[in-house]
Amino acid sequence: MIDAFASWMLQFGALSWLGTTPATILAMSLVAVAIFIFVALNALVLVYVERKVSAFMQVRLGPMRVGPMGTLQTVADALKLLLKEDIIPRFADPILFRVGPWIILLASFVAFAAVPFSPGWVPADMSIGLFYVVSISSVVVIGIVMSGWASNNKWSLYGAMRSAAQIVSYEIPVGLSLLAAVAVVGTLNLQEIIAAQAGVGNLFHWIPIPFPNWYIFHSPFLFLAGCIYLIAATAEVNRTPFDIPESESELVAGFMTEYSGIRWALFFLSEYANAAVVALLTAIVFLGGWQSPFADLAGARFGMISLTVLALIWTIFVKYKVKRLSIYPIGTILALTVIAWLFPAFAIWLATPGLVWIAIKGGVVIFLLMWFRWTFPRLRVDQLMYLSWKVLLPIALINLAGVAVWMWLTGAISLVG
Amino acid sequence: MARLHAEEMVLNMGPQHPSTHGVLRLKLRTDGEIVSHIEPVIGYLHRCFEKHGENIEYPMVTPFTDRCDYLASMNNAHGYAMAVEKLMDIELPERVEYLRIIFAEFQRIASHLVAVGAFGLDVGAITPFLYCFRERESILDLFEMASGARLLYNYVWIGGLAHDIPPGFVEKAYEFLDYFDERIREYDRILTGNKIFIERSADVGVMPAEVAINYGVTGPCLRASGVNHDLRRAQPYSIYDRFEFDTVVGKGEMGTVGDCWDRYNVRVLEMAQSARIIRQALEQLPTEGDVKSAVPKKIRPPKGEIYSRSENPRGELGYYIISDGSSVPFRLKMRSPAFCNLSVINEIGAGWMISDVIAILGSLDIVLGEIDR
Repeated sequence: MIDAFASWMLQFGALSWLGTTPATILAMSLVAVAIFIFVALNALVLVYVERKVSAFMQVRLGPMRVGPMGTLQTVADALKLLLKEDIIPRFADPILFRVGPWIILLASFVAFAAVPFSPGWVPADMSIGLFYVVSISSVVVIGIVMSGWASNNKWSLYGAMRSAAQIVSYEIPVGLSLLAAVAVVGTLNLQEIIAAQAGVGNLFHWIPIPFPNWYIFHSPFLFLAGCIYLIAATAEVNRTPFDIPESESELVAGFMTEYSGIRWALFFLSEYANAAVVALLTAIVFLGGWQSPFADLAGARFGMISLTVLALIWTIFVKYKVKRLSIYPIGTILALTVIAWLFPAFAIWLATPGLVWIAIKGGVVIFLLMWFRWTFPRLRVDQLMYLSWKVLLPIALINLAGVAVWMWLTGAISLVG
Repeated sequence: MARLHAEEMVLNMGPQHPSTHGVLRLKLRTDGEIVSHIEPVIGYLHRCFEKHGENIEYPMVTPFTDRCDYLASMNNAHGYAMAVEKLMDIELPERVEYLRIIFAEFQRIASHLVAVGAFGLDVGAITPFLYCFRERESILDLFEMASGARLLYNYVWIGGLAHDIPPGFVEKAYEFLDYFDERIREYDRILTGNKIFIERSADVGVMPAEVAINYGVTGPCLRASGVNHDLRRAQPYSIYDRFEFDTVVGKGEMGTVGDCWDRYNVRVLEMAQSARIIRQALEQLPTEGDVKSAVPKKIRPPKGEIYSRSENPRGELGYYIISDGSSVPFRLKMRSPAFCNLSVINEIGAGWMISDVIAILGSLDIVLGEIDR
């Protein structure tokens, strides 16, 4: 992507005096700035969405004052944080205290380098993309321990220690569940992983229901791997029910206790950047990334009709129970279906892979994370470790073997080599 | 090789901490995450209630009792009024008795709602807390209808009530009760049966019955330990002997008898029982009667002393009053249930993790205004 961008820039007469190397460097910086803007906007939007989602779950309105429907609330909050006094506790380690938040932000920021947003849209198309994302995002723990230790506060220290134990433990189920998908596709390159999930096929290979070829529908084992990944990844990004490093009611704010102003905002940026990385990775590895769920024009029409039927069923059975017949979900999907029938161009667009699809899929996963957060209580430290080492890890290991058996059964691999 | 030097760390939890339910300070001796000793340090909210009581006239004490346990103002004022009435031998009109029961039980529901919601908050579930507060708001609306205030009512007076209930109150009360019965099931779905919630609260901070009795623990905490002791049943005051209700006792359904889950569940079930009492009281409520008819013009109890106790949402609330025949109490002592309940925290909380100490503290349901007085 960067090379293509650089050569595109060199086409223009005004820029052709740039050599190839400076053009590449310029392209790199521009992409980096774009990703940084994405990360910042991502946090702004997600904080707003999180507040609204939590408000709706808690029968409140959420932010309503700043901007229409409170949409500018997070912008106002960000400005406030920027203007706040920069406090460093007297007995804190001044260097580590300053460096810690930046390391956390950097780690979650550079993880986006390998994330493919669309066909051809990946900042660095590396052959070990998946490995890179998983490993780089675990660097976060260094920053957390650093800022927790440097704060010279017992609560921060507890938060940092918990976080170190937690992230290191949950790396393993994360790795093993992703490995299950890698075993199927045979590559670590994220673009190739997505490309392998194109089209529509049978659910779990044999059940004759047309489902997208996404890995979550590939086999029961990969479905399980997807669930394990989602659970372990929730723990890795420190969200409820695994938010023990910053558990508000126990450790005040965990490793963030002593931080305020812009440094605290950096924690927030990286928290939501991490959530986005996890959501995008779930979408890429298990939900087909930027692939459209509809293989072609006919698929798009058929898919929209099935969605309408599903929405109808949902409207009747779920909404009727609470005596509130909602027309919004069915109305929206019905309108889309009609449009998909009347305008083939729209259906073709629906069937085309692209940025919209990965955004929708990532958004769904992020909504799931928020749903977890506002529903569940928090686990205790030892229960968290128990879940990781004694539940998720064995299941993930057996699951990995199960994937191999499944591939042998479906003829994807043969034992006679 | 030099040995690693390891020692216990003293951790000050509070007085500024999100889960100490006010301004409590806990001195924790911790070994990693394990807490080996808990020392509650209290007094940050000391407002000289008892000393004030020795300097102001009897009716003027009522607003102070409201401020002691600000989540159970009605019950506190009720207990105090009963003590003075016993001292003065005042016969109350029927309507006053019924209304007092109705308000006391509404207050019990409101207080338990806060306890249940805050306990959820302590173990990390934020949403149930807001659901509980939504229901509490409706109760506060009822209180506002009757007394004009939403937190500190000064409604139960010695010998009567400040005002009669306004028209439409009974209908609104019924409306709330119908709505509330459905809501209790909602808590069951979101908290009581939640696997993570059970993991966090079952078998945690088990309080055996003898420990509870030795420390003077009362109220839902005592009943959760399997002791069937509710003053409304054991020593019926006011007109509690006229109502049908069950005292809820912890059975250890999810773990051991007397664990945090039991203390939580006892409160949830007690809310249903309170609603039952309110229904009966509303049905039997006499339509006639002046709520102020028995309010004495001059409150000068005869020389003597009295100890009167009642069942507060947190436990056994006692008032010990010595009267020297003047219009000012010679001595006013309040036996605060939350104070005794808190004293047991080291016994049941030591050896657990920091997170569990928070859960145990939340399950004891303390109110610092009452502990420090």
